[in-house]
Amino acid sequence: MGMKTEIFDKKRLKEIKTKTAEWEENSYSCQKKLKKKYETLSGFDVKPLYTPDDLAGFDYLRDLGFPGESPFIRGVHPTMYRGRTWTHRQLAGFGPPEETNKRYKFLLQQGASGINGVFDYPTLRGYSSDDPDVYADVGRGGVAIDTVDDMRILFDGIPIDQVSVSLVTCQPICNISMQSMYFANALDRGIPLDRLAGTSQNDFLMETATTIAPGVLPPQASFKVSCDAIEFCTKNAPRWNPISFAGYNYREAGCTAPQEVALVIAHAIACSEEMLKRGIEIDSFANRLSFFLSAHNDFFEEIAKYRAARRIYCSIMKKRFNARDPRSLMFRFHVQTAGVALTAQQPLNNVARAAYHALAAVLGGAQSVHVDAYDEALCTPTELSSVTALRTQQILQNETGVTNTIDPLGGSYFLESLTNRMETEICGILDEIDSLGGLVKAVENGWIHKEIAEAAYKYQWAIENGEMPIVGVNCFKIEDEVLPIELFSSPETLKVQKKKLQIIKKKRNAAEVARSLDAISRCCEKNGNLMELMVGAVKSHLTEGEISQALKRVYGVWDPPLF
Amino acid sequence: MVRLGMDAHWRGSMVVARALRDAGMEVIYGGNQMPMNIVRMAIQEDVDIIGLSSLSGNHMMLAPEVVKLLKKEKVHDIKVVFGGTVPPDDVPKLKKAGIVEVFGPGSSLRKIISCIESLKNN
Repeated sequence: MGMKTEIFDKKRLKEIKTKTAEWEENSYSCQKKLKKKYETLSGFDVKPLYTPDDLAGFDYLRDLGFPGESPFIRGVHPTMYRGRTWTHRQLAGFGPPEETNKRYKFLLQQGASGINGVFDYPTLRGYSSDDPDVYADVGRGGVAIDTVDDMRILFDGIPIDQVSVSLVTCQPICNISMQSMYFANALDRGIPLDRLAGTSQNDFLMETATTIAPGVLPPQASFKVSCDAIEFCTKNAPRWNPISFAGYNYREAGCTAPQEVALVIAHAIACSEEMLKRGIEIDSFANRLSFFLSAHNDFFEEIAKYRAARRIYCSIMKKRFNARDPRSLMFRFHVQTAGVALTAQQPLNNVARAAYHALAAVLGGAQSVHVDAYDEALCTPTELSSVTALRTQQILQNETGVTNTIDPLGGSYFLESLTNRMETEICGILDEIDSLGGLVKAVENGWIHKEIAEAAYKYQWAIENGEMPIVGVNCFKIEDEVLPIELFSSPETLKVQKKKLQIIKKKRNAAEVARSLDAISRCCEKNGNLMELMVGAVKSHLTEGEISQALKRVYGVWDPPLF
Repeated sequence: MVRLGMDAHWRGSMVVARALRDAGMEVIYGGNQMPMNIVRMAIQEDVDIIGLSSLSGNHMMLAPEVVKLLKKEKVHDIKVVFGGTVPPDDVPKLKKAGIVEVFGPGSSLRKIISCIESLKNN
């Protein structure tokens, strides 16, 4: 790494530096007097102009390299979108599984190239629809799934051996049931697990840090349950991504861009360490670790974030874990456009916002994208708003030409500088998490909660004080606005689900149910792999709530610390 | 300040709770609760105002229930406000059910603070 590999000549750089200073002094001076502060959303200073001087010491082969090659900053695939476009994976789920099944089929007919299934609040938290505490939330925010029979209905008539399916089973307590039901249903349809392609979210931070709900699984237990699914998939479902580190949700809860990436990478480190402890070789699972990030308002910062994440991750997997398989070094990620950036005011403006967000994701080299619907801040997407979101992706792919060349912003003085700055910031946070004893510890002692809450609070005051303009909210407002869109109304779910549960509970073999639940408790006590047992156990029509209770009886519950 | 039912979104309730605290009020953050518990907690802690938060769409089923239970317990001096994602048509319905103020998405923190202060003093 001597002088010869640097792309800018030292003497010329000096001249550029002098010239830039002159330009600032003479030509730019009027603007300088205004003393306005320019910074990115996460608070990095932004200069008026970037030149080669900002990339002094820049070495193309070392710092950027080529797509599909280490450090993968220019993209994880050698052909990127020329070879294969990003997956248009639109989130869908509401009401009973019968209704969501129709929406999946509709989206696939409209050209969606993958399914992104979201579950209702009780399902995500491990409750069945007949629990007395959940009657107001059944079918809201996603589809209600109680037993393996609901899972069968949800994917009825959908070729799950061909379509890749993402299960947004945020919390491990939900994932262990849902993924087992999904696998059990596939086996029942005669599809072997090694033919299933897809992803489950399965993120213990979602259970313990980003939703602050009382009575959740303790962090160590939640983390263990998530790792059981990773281990099971490594051995039985090699095309399945058993975890999707949900940086998107950390961001929605309040994180900044560098915190978002630092937390997902810290999480990948924790999982890798745990798998190695279980005697599983790094290259047999690391190639299936996948990431889920947000695309927020600051266009260039978001692109820099994705690029920095790829370079840091590659280096960590190489140096810290000695991974050899190139696929283990790749930071592959799904993007959802930021819901928190959308407004209830003038909701059609959100079409423009989400399009910019999606553009950042694609210029940042995402593997799959979900574009938020314009009515996100008001209700579950209607058929019209979800098709408009899908069309936003199709327009981006087919009309704008952004797919023609790989990493088109690579080499930009500004973007490369920002990528470097982002990398430094992320690595700093990673060091801090290491010094706290790793991610699980950082959750247990409330550090994560404090960090997220602090950032969210700062963000809100920036909007409040007008430092962060939000069109329609703190500027360009319309008083007494009449809502220009139709809103979604949820189909009846509670009665439908309760009735099905009543029938199932009568019909199923009670002795077999008791045996299965007992086996689950014993597996928890013996620290065995829960998913190995669960894929078979759910066939006896255990409800999700019964499974969660069995887990909580052994592991206990935890009240996350407050901010 | 509590979140209704199973709602998973905590950002809004947390930011508002903190803003109220920083404005000099005492805030008790109750996490996720069902109406019966909310009323029990409110009476026990002798609060002036109950802040309900939900972005999950469960507001029409749970928020009016809190007001009803307060009446049943013959509590007349605790006011109930709501914040979260609410379709505009639901706002008059919530108010009719006895929720004194509804703060939708994009509400200003300063407005929330001054509204709570004036409710407390009335």
